[in-house]
Amino acid sequence: MPIEKSDLLQGTLDMLILKIVALGSVHGYGISLRIRQISKEVLQVQQGSLYPALHRLEKRGWLEAEWGASDKGRQAKFYKLSAKGRKQLESEESNWNRLASAVANILQTAQ
Amino acid sequence: MSWWKSLLPKRASDTQMNSELRFHIDELTDENIAVGMSPEEARRRAILEFGGQEKFKEEVRDVYRVRILDASVANLKSAFRFIRKSPTFSITVILTLALAIGANSAVFSAINAILLKPLPFPDADQLMRVDQYNPKNPRPFHLVAPVRLEDWNRLNSTFAALTGYYAEDISESTGALPEKVTRAWVSPRFFQVWAVTPALGREFTPDEETLNGPAAVLISDRFWRRRFNADPNIVGKNLRLDGHLTPIVGVMPPSFLFPNREADLWCPIPAGLFHGQARENDWFTIIGRLKPGVTVAQARANLATVQAQLGRQFPKTDADLSVGIEPLKETTIADSRRSLWLLFGSVTLLLFIACTNIVALLLSRSAQRQHEISVRFSLGAPRGALIAQLLTETFLLALVGSGLGLFLAAAASDIFRSLAAQLPRVEEIHLDARIVLYSLACSVVVTLLSGLVPAVRGTHRSLSASLAQSSRSQVSGRNPFQWLLVGIQVALAVTLLAGAGLLLRSFQQLGRVTRGFDSSHILAFQLSMNYGETGDMKKLRQFTDRVLETLRATPGVESAAISVGAPGVPFKYETELKLLEGRSESEPKLIAENRLVSASYFATMRIPLLAGEVCRETDGPPTVVVNRGFADAYFPGEPVIGHHVQSINMGYSGAAEIVGVSGDARESGLDLAPVPTAYWCAPFAEPGTYFLVRTHNAPMTMAETIRRQLHEIEPLRSAYDFAPLEQHFSDALSENRLRTVLLTFFAATALSLACIGLYGTLSYNVNIRRREVGLRLALGALRGQIVKQFLWQGLAVCILGCIAGFALAAASSRVLAGLLYGISPSDLPTLSVVILLVLVVAAAASLIPAIRASRVDPVQVLRDE
Repeated sequence: MPIEKSDLLQGTLDMLILKIVALGSVHGYGISLRIRQISKEVLQVQQGSLYPALHRLEKRGWLEAEWGASDKGRQAKFYKLSAKGRKQLESEESNWNRLASAVANILQTAQ
Repeated sequence: MSWWKSLLPKRASDTQMNSELRFHIDELTDENIAVGMSPEEARRRAILEFGGQEKFKEEVRDVYRVRILDASVANLKSAFRFIRKSPTFSITVILTLALAIGANSAVFSAINAILLKPLPFPDADQLMRVDQYNPKNPRPFHLVAPVRLEDWNRLNSTFAALTGYYAEDISESTGALPEKVTRAWVSPRFFQVWAVTPALGREFTPDEETLNGPAAVLISDRFWRRRFNADPNIVGKNLRLDGHLTPIVGVMPPSFLFPNREADLWCPIPAGLFHGQARENDWFTIIGRLKPGVTVAQARANLATVQAQLGRQFPKTDADLSVGIEPLKETTIADSRRSLWLLFGSVTLLLFIACTNIVALLLSRSAQRQHEISVRFSLGAPRGALIAQLLTETFLLALVGSGLGLFLAAAASDIFRSLAAQLPRVEEIHLDARIVLYSLACSVVVTLLSGLVPAVRGTHRSLSASLAQSSRSQVSGRNPFQWLLVGIQVALAVTLLAGAGLLLRSFQQLGRVTRGFDSSHILAFQLSMNYGETGDMKKLRQFTDRVLETLRATPGVESAAISVGAPGVPFKYETELKLLEGRSESEPKLIAENRLVSASYFATMRIPLLAGEVCRETDGPPTVVVNRGFADAYFPGEPVIGHHVQSINMGYSGAAEIVGVSGDARESGLDLAPVPTAYWCAPFAEPGTYFLVRTHNAPMTMAETIRRQLHEIEPLRSAYDFAPLEQHFSDALSENRLRTVLLTFFAATALSLACIGLYGTLSYNVNIRRREVGLRLALGALRGQIVKQFLWQGLAVCILGCIAGFALAAASSRVLAGLLYGISPSDLPTLSVVILLVLVVAAAASLIPAIRASRVDPVQVLRDE
């Protein structure tokens, strides 16, 4: 069952973006491709909603952006993780894991 | 080719954003074409998959927009919600701030009206008070002879004009009963100096300003309204002033309160009056208007030259005189400046205490809100936004507080008027835009002072994250910052209390001084007279005798006397006396305070006669009684009786024999030690003379009887200013009382705030340590130990605060020096009592939470676990 956008916490999308960008310099289209691949079509966000998030992260200094040419030679904006973004990603990941395991615990105990 | 773009500010221009999004759609289209769609279909699907482009563009733009307005509105909304949700907290903060900001704005409104605003005359900074004085006389006599004023006007080059006036209380008798009115005689150039024209009617004509010209009077706005109900056709009607019909030529505007707010009438005083010709007859107060661009220093130099020239021309009268020039505003404000700044300083300390208090309240508040804050963090709210929101909450509280405080500020003029009617310019105090702005500025400062620290600390990430996880586990009971705040509050409160204590003690000392006379059962009043009457001394004598005899014959009256200047009420008439028997140059000059009294004065005021006899009210040469201070200072070890003295300034008094020595009395103010004084036997009432009546019963019960008796024998005069003499003392001390009452009020408020702070902090502390206390009780701790521990925690901080406050009070004691009477600014008993008081109150405030801590039920606590 696909998760509706409204259910996808903004913070979660941010974390996913950071995680993908951490793997290397990538443009918005590339990020949307990766989200679709990684999450096996579970997370269906409208692709455009990626951009406000990208710009927000860039403004906070977690991402750095640069214009360059894509594989096909088109002009594209490439994002990569800043040092500050890397720290943010680490703390969000650990928070997420803690929350997830807590939720899993609750679900198990509840059964 | 992209290097130059990095030079642009990091702000997505629309073209950049468009090309970024276009790239995405192009790629999607390519993807779709790759799976076999037609280019048109592929593009259509790509656009669909991408979603509403315009919406996302707008969202991206929002990221970069500084959304101050939107964010502020949202913050305000949430702040309102916050206030509604926690009414007790909000009301506490709002009331604290209403009091602190309100009191601050109130004092500021007085400072604004009295010290900051120019006097209510056009180009008021050009107005100067000009005095003559003799530098050899330690306490100079400032009045100026009219003829010298004319010389100054003729010879100077720095003043546009100089004018003189003389005020007296006279009787106006066109009504059913004679009414006392205050008339200022004003010399020519009056309008030129004041640059004020009548609101109705006209100025005086040159004709009216010459000797034996037609009479004319201008009336004050107040008198016009009170007496004539603001009749627009008043010009041309007549007043009967001391029996002389005088036509009203105009009404002055309401702001023209000169020489003081009591002034009802202004009459032109022609140059060339009989008592205006002698150079010794000093009775004008001089006001001058500087020419534009002339400085005070230039004017001083110029008039010094002019006076030196006059000194050569008239060596006998003018050689010793110097000219003093001070801005009129300075002489109007006089000594109230120090009192006002003192009050402003203390009320600002009070505001600091309130801020500190609110910091503590907000800190404990944000501890409770840590959960909410950490949730908002995890939802991605930036810290700046959270701080902005917390500050908005504080600002809203401060704004509401300062709004309420404006009511207090609006009442300021009434408060000041009722506490200190004698304060100069007190009628100019009122709420205006400047005060509202000031209050607003106060609330901004308060927001930053008291909101910033809690907001920054409350949104500390690691703190909020850790607390969110472990809201039930232990919280450190030691929060040194909050205790520091309590200590600061106590220290500031001690400082204020020390000041208030010293002022109170000083006030008390004033009440205890040996006055040298007995002022109980003395009724004082005046009769309207004018200076013209002093031309016929014989008639004046008859009038005075008739009044005194009538008073003495009134049942209930023990004795009656007259004196120029009421005893114990500030009045200076200090001159140099010449000893007819001669005095060597090496001996000190005879400088004495002069009192013109009737022989009955000593018996009425119960001033003891130590030697000789009471002065004689004869028609022969006048006689004088001097006080002991005079005899001791100028005739140590030799008889003073039998010498003859003559006053240098009182031209008409002639040589007088010293016939007696009286005890020392505080004639010129209860706060002034007696100075050498000469009592001249002058059984002539003159304008300004007080009639003093010793009554058997409460003085005021006789007032009506006396008024009726006097109306029978003097139907054309009005008797006024009836008051027990003690009342005059109280009026004379009104500025003293103002600062004492207000500072005491501020200090009491400060102490209560500090106690609330202490109580709150300790209670909070007890709350978060409930589990620990419960455990200890379960393990066998005694309840007494728990009480002692918390009590000591509160007291220890207070003791440190007291020490700091003591040091602060000692350091600021210079501020009070000169405002105190009979007590040193570092008076140890006062400071000890203050500290004792603070400690007792602090102990009481600590005791309640301490006892509550000891009543913790261990079973309950363990069950909660």
